[in-house]
Amino acid sequence: MDDIIIAILRSGTPLVYVTLAGVIAQRAGIWHLGLEGLMIAGACATILGIVFTQSIVLALLIAVGVCMVASVLFWFVVEKLKANQIIAGLGLTGLGLGGTTLAIESIFGSQAAVSAPFGLPRIGPFFGSFGNLSILVLLMPFFVFAFWVLLRRTRFGLRLAAAGEHPYAARSVGIEPSRIRLAALVIGGALCALGGAELAAGSLQFFSQNMTAGRGFMAFAAVIFGAGHPVGAALAAMFFAIVGALGIRAQLVFGDRVPHDLLLGLPYIATVIGIWMSARLRGGAKAISGFGELRDN
Amino acid sequence: MSETTAAVLDCHDVTVRFGDVVALSNVSVSFASGAIHAVVGQNGAGKTTFARVIAGLIDPDEGSVRISGRDMPKGSVNDARRAGVELVHQSFALPPSFTVAEAMQFGGSGGKLYTRSQLERRWQAHLDALNINVKAGQRIRDLPVESQQSVEIARALVTDAKLLILDEPTAVLSPEGAEKLFQRIRHLKSAGVTIILILHKIREVLAIADTVSVLRGGKLVEGPVACSGIDADKLSELIIGPSARPLDEDDRAALTGSASSLHTHVGVSGKDGAAPPILDMKSVSSAPDGDGPPLTDVSLAIRPGEIVGVAGVEGNGQRTLVRALSALADVESGTIALDGRQVTTLPLQGRRIAGLRVIPFERNVEGLSLTSSLWENWSARKLLQGSLLSWIRPSALRSECKSALDAWDVRYATVAQRAGSLSGGNAQKVILSREMDEDARLIIAAQPTRGLDIGATAFVWNALDQARRRNCGILLISSDLDEIMDICDRVVVMLSGRIAGTFEPPYDIARIGAAMTGVTHDR
Repeated sequence: MDDIIIAILRSGTPLVYVTLAGVIAQRAGIWHLGLEGLMIAGACATILGIVFTQSIVLALLIAVGVCMVASVLFWFVVEKLKANQIIAGLGLTGLGLGGTTLAIESIFGSQAAVSAPFGLPRIGPFFGSFGNLSILVLLMPFFVFAFWVLLRRTRFGLRLAAAGEHPYAARSVGIEPSRIRLAALVIGGALCALGGAELAAGSLQFFSQNMTAGRGFMAFAAVIFGAGHPVGAALAAMFFAIVGALGIRAQLVFGDRVPHDLLLGLPYIATVIGIWMSARLRGGAKAISGFGELRDN
Repeated sequence: MSETTAAVLDCHDVTVRFGDVVALSNVSVSFASGAIHAVVGQNGAGKTTFARVIAGLIDPDEGSVRISGRDMPKGSVNDARRAGVELVHQSFALPPSFTVAEAMQFGGSGGKLYTRSQLERRWQAHLDALNINVKAGQRIRDLPVESQQSVEIARALVTDAKLLILDEPTAVLSPEGAEKLFQRIRHLKSAGVTIILILHKIREVLAIADTVSVLRGGKLVEGPVACSGIDADKLSELIIGPSARPLDEDDRAALTGSASSLHTHVGVSGKDGAAPPILDMKSVSSAPDGDGPPLTDVSLAIRPGEIVGVAGVEGNGQRTLVRALSALADVESGTIALDGRQVTTLPLQGRRIAGLRVIPFERNVEGLSLTSSLWENWSARKLLQGSLLSWIRPSALRSECKSALDAWDVRYATVAQRAGSLSGGNAQKVILSREMDEDARLIIAAQPTRGLDIGATAFVWNALDQARRRNCGILLISSDLDEIMDICDRVVVMLSGRIAGTFEPPYDIARIGAAMTGVTHDR
């Protein structure tokens, strides 16, 4: 039983961090399809940081910095150059996937996976069989709670929501929606970096190209599933992780009877079902509908 | 120096341009503190732009704004709010998913944490102090428009507002709601708040304001003058200006709302009392679809040559009524007959062939494809009614369109120009020329004059009158009671998807107003 929970936490934690980034962007009025790109940039920067600085703190700072800078770029393209945010987000994802491959190719001369000598600090033997989990797993619930407070119980959160839902209302009380979105994207960038770091250095300690494998898009789905609520979206992300872990379990048990590909596809099938359900659940579709249109007259 | 003459607001040579359009041109005006100032003008005269400049939402191209003697940096909402200026918007600026308490909170200053109950207690006290009967925990989207407006006023008074600007506050209110609002405004005035009211009805101006200023075509044509020194005729002359086309007296009165009972030039209608009705709705109820209240047990008949007006506060089922008649809403029970023919289950195409024509609510969204050419827009009626595989000859359609548009006096360069390049009045004429053809039997005119200037408005009214003379049935939906009372032979009032009352001339505005808000008067 323990190992199933460990597997769920390992695969769910990176997803939760990236989901929180998607939640804050979405509440500020941006459908963030660049999550995948930021996540892989964070993963790559963390491993390269460890390799070149031999310090996990410096590596994390580099990863957070890279993702924040990329987020500012995304903001500039969307808000200043007025590009379509869906296209710009997909562009950012492409930039992340291609840029990281290019980076390891040009540094190491091959596209092979890059291993790091060590990863994120572990939470320690005090936690028994869970001791091998990284510190970011332990911090994850605190981040979810902090985001809930920030988004639902502070004036900053209200302004963020106003900028997303009704930019003209925000402007008429002196809030600049564009600046609020910059703040949201930069905070989100940092979260994506942590998600990427946990993915590459939490249990694995290596980076390989395209290793995020669509997790950024799954996080995006969790944002919709959770109707833009940080706790709901985090639970949705964990739900996807549970389905994924059970899928791997199922392979071991039913591997010879059920097609392998079908079991591997379970998390993605769960995502589709989740999105479909979110439209059915009371409040889900309604709470989210205001974000599609950006009223500003 | 006397305190009473101190100006709370000084505008000097303010000019605002949007591209080639000059919205405000060299407006210099100053308002004394502690009074109620009205700013009037036709649609497009620059009233809303003026309000937004003062509130810091629009950065003027030229000129300066001084508030309480201090120069305001251009286009800064924060500075304007710090100086005590608050704007209540025409279409409210409140995020619909917020609770009332959150809507109050988000515009304030400071960034402290709060709990939901703290927040609601705090703002409930604020609402109670203003005597506004709304629960702080309710969501904005669940509130009726009158309450939303109260909430927006309460939000504007969160800070210590010295100058409160209300942009067309009565547009969404019933006559009784407007009277309540005026009481509130007088109360605020006695509390020392200076108020600027953007209005377009002379009756309301004379009822509430201390001074009035008139904007026409972006220019200030009359500085603040005391309302005691001006009468309705003079004011309507200032608003309309030296009009090229002399207007019918009643139309003029309706346009400026300068009289309260106008109904005189009806009587040509109902010639054919025995003729079968053009429209016969019997107990129609529609399925709820999240877009306004569903229709409940609506029965409505329109005889040939009759204009029936639908009055009501916006959002009480008028849009659902139009969608039910155009086969866009699901009718759950009841029947609809058009010109003696059952059309309850017919799609829109079939109903149009039977003679249904619609001048829709949103001219630029539902009425025209702004990116398509005039002739494509105009031909849509025929193409929809013809068979799918019928051969289209663009050149023939273009010349037909040209002669139709000329007959309707549309000002355009070529039929190939995009519909979006026309002014509001000309765009509406394109729709009229398409929807008011010879085969039209029932014409639904939804807010056909909204946003039009006075000349174009009179043109639309005239066109509706012509159609009435051709024995069409006309359903006119309008939020302008003066318009409805001026041109309709009968008025029904809608409230929450029901018909709340039917009125025949001579109209009693008080009783219509009471029906709009659901107040029942003892007879």
